[in-house]
Amino acid sequence: MAMNDKRGYRSGLVDLRAGEVSREIFVNEHIYAEEQERIFARAWLHVGHESQIPRPGDYFVSSMGEESVILCRDRTDKIHVFLNSCRHRGMKVCRYDQGSTPVFTCPYHGWSYGTDGRLVGVPYFREAYHSRLDKEKWGLVEVAQMHNYKGSIWATWDAAAPGFTEYLGDFTRYLDLQLDGWDGREGQAEVLGGIQKWLVPCNWKFPAENFSGDTYHNISHRSVDLAGIGPSGAGRRDMGERDVSRKLHVCIPDRGHQTIHYVLPAGQLPPPAYQNAPIVAEYFRHCEEEKRRRRGEEARLVGAPGEIFPNTALLSRQPRTMAVWHPRSAHQTECWRWFFVDREAPTEVKHFLRDYYIRYSGPAGMTEQDDMENWNYAHAASRGTIARRYPYNYDQGSGTAVTDYEYQGLRVPGEVIDLTETQSSEQPMRNFYRRWAEFMEADDWSRLATWRGSERKAAE
Amino acid sequence: MSAINVRELTPGTSIVLADGAEAEIVTNPGDGMWLFARYLSSPRDPTLVGQEEMIFAPDVVALRR
Repeated sequence: MAMNDKRGYRSGLVDLRAGEVSREIFVNEHIYAEEQERIFARAWLHVGHESQIPRPGDYFVSSMGEESVILCRDRTDKIHVFLNSCRHRGMKVCRYDQGSTPVFTCPYHGWSYGTDGRLVGVPYFREAYHSRLDKEKWGLVEVAQMHNYKGSIWATWDAAAPGFTEYLGDFTRYLDLQLDGWDGREGQAEVLGGIQKWLVPCNWKFPAENFSGDTYHNISHRSVDLAGIGPSGAGRRDMGERDVSRKLHVCIPDRGHQTIHYVLPAGQLPPPAYQNAPIVAEYFRHCEEEKRRRRGEEARLVGAPGEIFPNTALLSRQPRTMAVWHPRSAHQTECWRWFFVDREAPTEVKHFLRDYYIRYSGPAGMTEQDDMENWNYAHAASRGTIARRYPYNYDQGSGTAVTDYEYQGLRVPGEVIDLTETQSSEQPMRNFYRRWAEFMEADDWSRLATWRGSERKAAE
Repeated sequence: MSAINVRELTPGTSIVLADGAEAEIVTNPGDGMWLFARYLSSPRDPTLVGQEEMIFAPDVVALRR
């Protein structure tokens, strides 16, 4: 197998100076196996949303990397994330997608666990185990850390990982756009309907880098632009802000998070949208005014596709959705997509948005179908012995990012490239793969939490 | 003796267990394997009376009508 077996992913496979990334990191099964240990067992991963488990006993089966996990609310209303595997012989203790239960019972030998993870039922406990099995020791495996951020549930298997908000760094404002109400109130989002799940024959990093902010592939969505699948029957989205805002790539160095972003001029509200649906148009017009009143200058930020390292994609505006790219093999990704609405939005607004969302995203969404086709064939065409000798090019816009960008008094932290004129850059992908290489190289968080050193220095 | 389908049993039903104890179902999780039940009698261990325990399906040998 053609593979660089030298220690040092950054120098060997991710060469940011040359703007090259080896195809091996997408198609090599040994690298994929190592990713499970070095990335998915350590990073913070998105598990679900609290609105999916509103009552005690409710559960939703999710994934963290390749691991099946149960997100559930116990009898005392506390939220947990457990490995979905019986401690006796490993059978899944929950084989449904979601529901409500007082216990998770393993169908193999019958061990049964409370929604707080405690082992509560052991067949023939007195007779066969002579009452000596330590039930406290054999509960479900719980994640090392869990964080409820404005209703979204995140978890990591690594007890040494920094807290979730430290992990996000300056990226919190972009996740806020996803989870706060459109009128600027905190944490008003709820999940709309079920989760769309589908398989794509490609490595998980194809969708991850695409949602990091690939504006260069817009041409592949030309057909949906021409068909006019947008809310008002033209283009893909109602995005009048494109014509008046600065369009940015924003990357958070050291964290591996990045996004496309729009910044409106001072004092300007987003241009009208949803004009073909008066109730919806009025709802968003009202919300934009309220947001400006509550958030002030911060309301000038308008969200667009972004990625929280490693595998969670954001899209806070049209369609408002989050996705997780679950790795299933080096050559297969299971995509899960959550759709969001303001929970207090009028029913007509929710129905309108649902129709638009599924027209755009997911396995039946016309735009996402274009993406899947690109990832599918790019992956397949990169697997061959000859193909994998040739790296991909990530050189676009190298050396042009600025730090501490400011536009009409609004500061944007991070490494920023102004796309208003240049249209495109690959700074987000370079940021993503730099972080990927750091995770693959670093043995512990003293080397991964690189920002702590610079923060210490600044404090001194 | 034919096996009893514990999934169909409702709270309030009295059950007879293999060791001769009797218990009343408090909750049925519906997994076909377990019942939450409160002991009404227990010749083997009288201290169990009044206590709620999980009962494994094969231990349920009869229903008390």
